[in-house]
Amino acid sequence: MIDTWVYLLIGLFLPLFPLSMGFNFVLGRSRSVLLRILLLLFWPQIGLILLQTVNSPVPGWMVPLALFTATLYALRALALREVGQWSGFLATSAWALLWVVLRGDLPVLQLHLFALGFSTPLALLALLGAGLERRFGAAYTGLYGGLAESIPRFSTILVLVVLAIIATPLFPTFFIMLVTVVQAVTLMPLVAVSVALVWLLWSWAGARLLQGLIVGPAGVNKVIDLNRFITGAYALALTLLVASGVYSIGVLL
Amino acid sequence: MEHIIILITGLQILSALLTHLLTPRLGRQVARLSVTATALTFALSVAALWMVLNGHSRQTVNLFDSGMLLLLDPLSSLMAVLIAGISLVVHVYSLRYMAEETGYSRFFVLLDLMTATLLVMVSAGDLLTLLIAWHLVGVLLYFLLGQNTRDVSAYRYAFWTKITYRIGDLPLLIAAVLLYQAYGTGSLPAIFEQISTEPGPHQVLGWPLMDLVAGLIALAAFARSAQFLLHTWLPYSMSGPTPVSALMHAGIVNAGGFLINRFAPVFVHSSEILHWVFIVGLFTAVIGSVLMLIQNDIKKSLGYSTMGQMGFMIMECGIGAFSLAIYHLIAHGLFKGTLFLGAGGVINAARKNDGVPKQDLYTFVIERRPVRQRVPWLLMAAITLAVPITILVFAHWVVSEDYFQKQSAIVLLFFGWMTGAQLIFAVYRMQTGNLHRLVMLSIFSFAIVVLGYTLISHAFDLFLYPDPAFRDQIYAAADFELIWFDVLVILVALVIIFGWISTSFNDQHYHPRGEYRRRLWLSFYALISRELYITDLYTRISRALLSVAGRLNLWLRWL
Repeated sequence: MIDTWVYLLIGLFLPLFPLSMGFNFVLGRSRSVLLRILLLLFWPQIGLILLQTVNSPVPGWMVPLALFTATLYALRALALREVGQWSGFLATSAWALLWVVLRGDLPVLQLHLFALGFSTPLALLALLGAGLERRFGAAYTGLYGGLAESIPRFSTILVLVVLAIIATPLFPTFFIMLVTVVQAVTLMPLVAVSVALVWLLWSWAGARLLQGLIVGPAGVNKVIDLNRFITGAYALALTLLVASGVYSIGVLL
Repeated sequence: MEHIIILITGLQILSALLTHLLTPRLGRQVARLSVTATALTFALSVAALWMVLNGHSRQTVNLFDSGMLLLLDPLSSLMAVLIAGISLVVHVYSLRYMAEETGYSRFFVLLDLMTATLLVMVSAGDLLTLLIAWHLVGVLLYFLLGQNTRDVSAYRYAFWTKITYRIGDLPLLIAAVLLYQAYGTGSLPAIFEQISTEPGPHQVLGWPLMDLVAGLIALAAFARSAQFLLHTWLPYSMSGPTPVSALMHAGIVNAGGFLINRFAPVFVHSSEILHWVFIVGLFTAVIGSVLMLIQNDIKKSLGYSTMGQMGFMIMECGIGAFSLAIYHLIAHGLFKGTLFLGAGGVINAARKNDGVPKQDLYTFVIERRPVRQRVPWLLMAAITLAVPITILVFAHWVVSEDYFQKQSAIVLLFFGWMTGAQLIFAVYRMQTGNLHRLVMLSIFSFAIVVLGYTLISHAFDLFLYPDPAFRDQIYAAADFELIWFDVLVILVALVIIFGWISTSFNDQHYHPRGEYRRRLWLSFYALISRELYITDLYTRISRALLSVAGRLNLWLRWL
């Protein structure tokens, strides 16, 4: 009985609908960028730490609920235009998929790394979202557009970060999704199909976000692009992400 | 020497990196670097093909001991030459074509990355490498098609391409995972070896694994090669830059044929899947050709022509002519790439000369040239029938006595015949002052097409699948029941004969259509001009999904 309550508590941190609304509420209320980044990085880690306190295996009904949550938030992300909300929904959808992996026999450290792999590009997006708010007053798609022309460096970084979030090779998220599908096939092939559909919805949501921001003619107002130093820092972070992805190839093979 | 395959793929990645890094210093001249690297890649690909042609056995290269495998075999070396060759032409063409576009160096970086990814895709020796390359092609194509970031519609259509490709990625992903689960390795040669020794035991959800995997791979191939219902992206992707449209024929849109060939050992052990592949290909070929005929935009017309050709290619796979599909995709890649690169010139020429032929009376009276004539109908119809029959009898006499019983041989001959019949029909519609020469040219071209199809595909068969037992297995997997095969052959033959008779009838007894037939024809035209309403249907579905997502967000207070 206690285990069930603990699992419900974990369902707050490795979001399961409707508990997932708690995370999105907290993220939406956080005005500080630092707080948002911390939330994105550590929220699922708390869930994974709590998980180690439970002795019983993950109940079977949690996997369908997790898949429902992942699909629901991926679908809802399609209609979002605010970058902060979008990252919250994508985080919810991605972390919910960790339940599928939890049913397997992967070591706990690997699960922590998976959660971190999902969170890191989202944290970078939170930083970029703050940059958009500073420049335009809001991080909102379809409002100004044309960023590729007006702030090309920023756009390049934004494109790469979104690609990392939607699990594009060679970013670690791609390999995490691959392991998730392998684990899902072990559970049941239909679960693997659902995971694949969630992945498809992410791609759609990512393309909509990018098209709403970078495409179109540049606005009239002059906007300052990222300087070389900050661009280099982002590039370094992305290179590290790709490097960890490439390292995953060695682990997987 | 087998490490040449690493050089072939690595050179383009290095070129992309250098092009990006040296842009601030070299400016637009940096594109020359990209062209030089592609020329080198092409030279290396030709060298690799030469090695394979000279009996260099199949080699697997472990990429930096990472477990990622690259294959140097007939299929990968042949495809590498095609990809590097078309990419080189596209690179050279783009030097001037893209000169006035923004993002000039970015375009060359993307071209290099795309070429590298395609080369990795065709030489992938394990499931993971194949998946990575297969997925990346869609992503890179999205950005290549959206090269002009100001153009919102180009991005919208690029998105159609991307989402269709993602839909196609997923079956391949699941197929790869199923194979990995069943055989405990990602190495393609190892998997194929296990399949050939013990194909039967694995089942998933009560289905034979081979059937399920072959079906999923076929689905992935359908999405990549714009088969019916997954085709809507192709004609609209032509709003991207012209060089990209040409590059799409270097292993992107025709990758479906490659994929089916790569997984030939899986298809050999599947039961009904190739028959479905044939039906989908046939349907796509017909629909694509019909839609092509009503287009008034040259690039869109070429796009639908590609759809029809891809249908043919998939259909060839469906009847077990796997190597013929590779020949088809190479030939089509070359001629369609040329047509795309020449499309701008055609548009330019059309602005100066409308191309409407002058009336016979005008040419006779004013220009004092002899009246042009059509080749007699009966003669052309007779050639259509006589040449293949002659070749069949000749083959029966010279090649082997049981030629009539070999379904594979008949299939190849039949494809040659169908292609040749189209050629003869096109010739018949021409008018000329020198009938004798045209007739001789027709007979000669027809014989070349029919014989060429048969001989070249046989040569490709020997090169790609040197094991005769395996070749027989492929055709056996695609074998129709004899009665259905005969029905199909007779049906297509009747269609061709009916075409000739109706042409003659219309020429001799032309009269305006009645009201009912005119309306029927207009309805059909409207249906076709709206592209069978499939695009509209997809747009509605996606809008409905977005609306559902919006409503859900509203109900759940955006939390």
